[in-house]
Amino acid sequence: MLHVSNLRKSYSEGSSQRDVLSDVSFIINRGELIVLLGRSGSGKSTLLNMISGMDVPTTGSIEFEGQDLTNMSDTARTLFRRKHLGIIFQSFNLIPTLTVEENILLPLELTGTANQEQRQLALDVLREVNLGDRGDSFPDRLSGGEQQRVAIARALAHKPSLILADEPTGNLDFRTADTVMDILQRLVHDERRTMLVATHDRDIIRLADRVLELQGGKLKDVTPAAQHEAAQKEAAQQDVEAADNASPGV
Amino acid sequence: MALSILGVALGVAVVVGIDLANSSARTAFRLSTETVAGRATHAIVPGSGLLADDTYRNLRADSGLRNAAPVLEGHIRAGSASGPVLQVLGIDPLAEEPFRSYTGGPEGELDLGAFLGPQRTGLISRSTAQGLGIQSGDDLTTFREGKSSSIRILDIIDPDPGFSEASLENLIVVDIATAQALLESPGKLSRIDLILSKEEQGDKIAVLEDVLPPGARIEAASARSSTLDQMTQAFSLNLTAMSLLAMVVGMFLIYNTMTFSVVQRRGLIGRLRGIGVTSSEIFGLILGEAAVVGLIGSAIGMVAGVALGSVLIDLVTRSINDLYFTVRIQDLNITPLGLAKGVLVGLGTTVLAAFAPAREATRTMPSTALRRSEDESRLEARRGLLAGSGLILGILGALVLRTSGESIAFSYVGILFVILATSLWVPFLVDSGSRAVRPLMGRLFGVVGRMAASGIHHSLSRSAVAIAALTVAVAATSGVGIMVDSFRTTVDTWLRYSLEADVYISPPGMVFRRNDATIDTAVEERIRSMEGVSETYSVRTAHVLIDGRMSDLIVTEPRDSDLEPGRYKELPDFDHREAMTARDVVMVSEPYAFRFGTQVGDFLEIATSDGPRPFEVGAIYYDYASDLGVVQMARSRYEFHFDDRQVSGLAVYAADGVDVDDLIDNLTSVTANDQGLLIRSNRSLRQASLDVFDQTFTVTAVLRLLTILVAFIGVLTALMALQLERAREISVLRANGMTPSQVHRMVTTQTGLMGLLSGLLSVPLGLLLAWLLIFVINQRSFGWTLQFEIDLMVLGQAVLLAVIAALLAGWFPGRSMSRMNATEALRFE
Ligand SMILES: Nc1ncnc2c1ncn2[C@@H]1O[C@H](COP(=O)(O)OP(=O)(O)O)[C@@H](O)[C@H]1O
Ligand SMILES: [Mg+2]
Repeated sequence: MLHVSNLRKSYSEGSSQRDVLSDVSFIINRGELIVLLGRSGSGKSTLLNMISGMDVPTTGSIEFEGQDLTNMSDTARTLFRRKHLGIIFQSFNLIPTLTVEENILLPLELTGTANQEQRQLALDVLREVNLGDRGDSFPDRLSGGEQQRVAIARALAHKPSLILADEPTGNLDFRTADTVMDILQRLVHDERRTMLVATHDRDIIRLADRVLELQGGKLKDVTPAAQHEAAQKEAAQQDVEAADNASPGV
Repeated sequence: MALSILGVALGVAVVVGIDLANSSARTAFRLSTETVAGRATHAIVPGSGLLADDTYRNLRADSGLRNAAPVLEGHIRAGSASGPVLQVLGIDPLAEEPFRSYTGGPEGELDLGAFLGPQRTGLISRSTAQGLGIQSGDDLTTFREGKSSSIRILDIIDPDPGFSEASLENLIVVDIATAQALLESPGKLSRIDLILSKEEQGDKIAVLEDVLPPGARIEAASARSSTLDQMTQAFSLNLTAMSLLAMVVGMFLIYNTMTFSVVQRRGLIGRLRGIGVTSSEIFGLILGEAAVVGLIGSAIGMVAGVALGSVLIDLVTRSINDLYFTVRIQDLNITPLGLAKGVLVGLGTTVLAAFAPAREATRTMPSTALRRSEDESRLEARRGLLAGSGLILGILGALVLRTSGESIAFSYVGILFVILATSLWVPFLVDSGSRAVRPLMGRLFGVVGRMAASGIHHSLSRSAVAIAALTVAVAATSGVGIMVDSFRTTVDTWLRYSLEADVYISPPGMVFRRNDATIDTAVEERIRSMEGVSETYSVRTAHVLIDGRMSDLIVTEPRDSDLEPGRYKELPDFDHREAMTARDVVMVSEPYAFRFGTQVGDFLEIATSDGPRPFEVGAIYYDYASDLGVVQMARSRYEFHFDDRQVSGLAVYAADGVDVDDLIDNLTSVTANDQGLLIRSNRSLRQASLDVFDQTFTVTAVLRLLTILVAFIGVLTALMALQLERAREISVLRANGMTPSQVHRMVTTQTGLMGLLSGLLSVPLGLLLAWLLIFVINQRSFGWTLQFEIDLMVLGQAVLLAVIAALLAGWFPGRSMSRMNATEALRFE
């Protein structure tokens, strides 16, 4: 459903050009949960921003169900994003001037065509992230973990075909991150949705169907088998740690 | 940075410009009197009208008066009946030497024979000659009171050492005899200049006073300028009020721009703090920068202020020339003091205004570099406190206004308090207002509307300042607008009932409110007996010494409509109109009564031709023609006490069945050969009077526009600060599918709403300001009773103005927000 081919992104620094991404190609199939692994500064956010249409590549193409994003205008890309994508950032995801409920309804409301049924579905998602009673709160009354759960609910509420998450747990403590990731994975898996999660946290690999790794602007495919093994090892190790510093939940 | 400098510069420019116009006008008035007064220490002046020139001869012969010079002054127009006004200074060159040296002094090359000879000759300054396009040897055609004559320019004169070229501007120096002919005052003098040494003064004055003709007296040269001061007071007041307002709004502006420049560099400041720069160092850094901005801004502002000043001066001169007397302001009077004031305002306000942002910056932690939720919640918590202190300040302002008696300065302080009090209420009102309209906005504009409404109280510290600045500016505009409207309506109503004859006839004068011109007696007789004229009433305006002050005495013939009680502020229990013809009873105008505390039943000492006599004040009547105040006397009493039979104007009633326009045509043809008179219908005279009124307030209109401009830039900077702070939020909105045009719409909706809030808040404040201007400032300055006339249009326009100003100010930030690269702000996680 998503075809990324020969993607290159370069920024000019003074007179010289620096490639942040070079020759990146990959495919995402419907229903996959893919983890995009890479150190800080490796170009994960840059890649996600181009898939979401928030930014455009220097060369290369991004095809979503046959449509090439790189040929579209800013507005067309926005309308595409509104319809097909759900996005979660590391932090500051929520609009401070809107209540939790209004935040979740935001993509639908921006479309201007939201009907009562869609609204109800959206609010159901809020219940699914266990925040059914906080709909009228403003974001500054929520904890970091709660805010990310609202962000997840918003990314899913309009039933997008692809969910992009850029370090969704990067600002959370370990326990909270775990809970948030579990909720995310459950919601994505249950409804067989497609998701691309960018992270530098190898721990998240355990949830992945497939792992892509960015190194120095180039993509390194990691085979599912090898990745599973690595993930299981780390997971075992972390269970021990978790037992040591059990802390209250989110 | 550029914007902050622009903000400061604009604020300073307004203050400097107005100050400059004000002081230049004053200097010009002073110069115009100083030049003609020369080195005289005293002058013998008449109690009313003019002195007979025998007085001078007698004094010289009998009292052995030495250092004395006769002077006859007046005005003529050069070139044509509407040409530039020249001040005529008639002198005796033989007596002049100790006083003035235009005549060239002892070794001067003036051709005395020609100057004193039978042909009319005169001297003018180089620049005046250039202005008129003439040279020495040319003949100059002159006009006065509708009659023309001609004068030969004998020579060019240079100013006395110590006086500028400007002091001779539009002055024509002639021999006394020539002046008497030009000004149609045979055998008359305006005054006799004297030089009395300190030792002489006491005895000599006493000796002289004994031999002076009735009414005449000796006046110190310094006494003159105080009369002038009074005349310009009205203008100064008007301008001072506006410059104060401009300063308040300018302060808002500077505060906004300084905040903006701090917000702009929040990230940098955060990083500086991160690498160990202490908060006091940051504080110093910001204040230091404010000082630099203030200095550069003030410098630019002063240059711009000088330019603004010259535009304003033009307007001021025009109004003053129309209303009071003829003066030409040539030089901008740039004083170090005026400029120092500009620097003080610019630099002082900037540093003061930077104080809060600087403190804000010191609290900037690296982690909160892009957030300001704590600051906002602090302001939110304080909005009640602010409103509370606003209430206290308001009460204080009211107290100041109540207890300040007649003091204008304190009245302004009171008004300033009221304005500040309102500003302190703005955060509270804006907060509750924007919360209250949120659901409505949501229903109207969907989620964009809700965000627009919440955006206002969410960034209260920015939006409240912008709204306060706009509110104050718009309220000032509508307040002054309502004041001017009320004033105009009052004057119009008054004109309607006081101008009731069909046709008004007067000789063309030099200025509107001080018309010394008279109608030829023969012409007057002819008009009075003309066919088609049923009744005529004469008016004479004389300048007479009343209670020791030169005042205008209006001499009228009684008529039936004088009995209308609506014309009077205070009436006695006797028939004042009958008393005015039978006894020595006069009426005073409302401003006169106010200025000098005159009451019905008081006695005024009026210098008549037979010396001072007491006149009882019979009534106080409404009059808006003179802000200096006038005294009114019946014609019969005037003729009894004064040797003056001339009239300054005639009011004519058309006989039954006579068409007014035909009558005007007839009157024109009957008088044209003898005297070119202004013959106007009731309606056109009223229109002319209102035109003059409107012109007086042109300056005000210009200043109102400037105030709005200053507020506009204030709103713009506030919005740009907001834009920087919301970059992150916009990115998230864009990620969630908000299109660029929706971003623009959201910003526009928010600024439009801010404009609407300002507009609505400005309505009560504008009304309050109007009320204060009419019933406090105007009352204490002039003593006029004005109707309070609220034109809903003016208020509607104010709201509209606020919305438009806000929308315009929001357009640019809105556009750049919608075009912003959405990924940029997301990078700093
Ligand atoms: N607008 C930009 N201009 C210049 N360099 C940029 C810009 N945006 C990102 N970069 C650079 O691209 C690289 C990749 O950044 P990013 O995609 O944010 O990495 P990651 O999300 O993996 O941490 C970094 O070196 C960053 O400095
Ligand atoms: Mg990143």
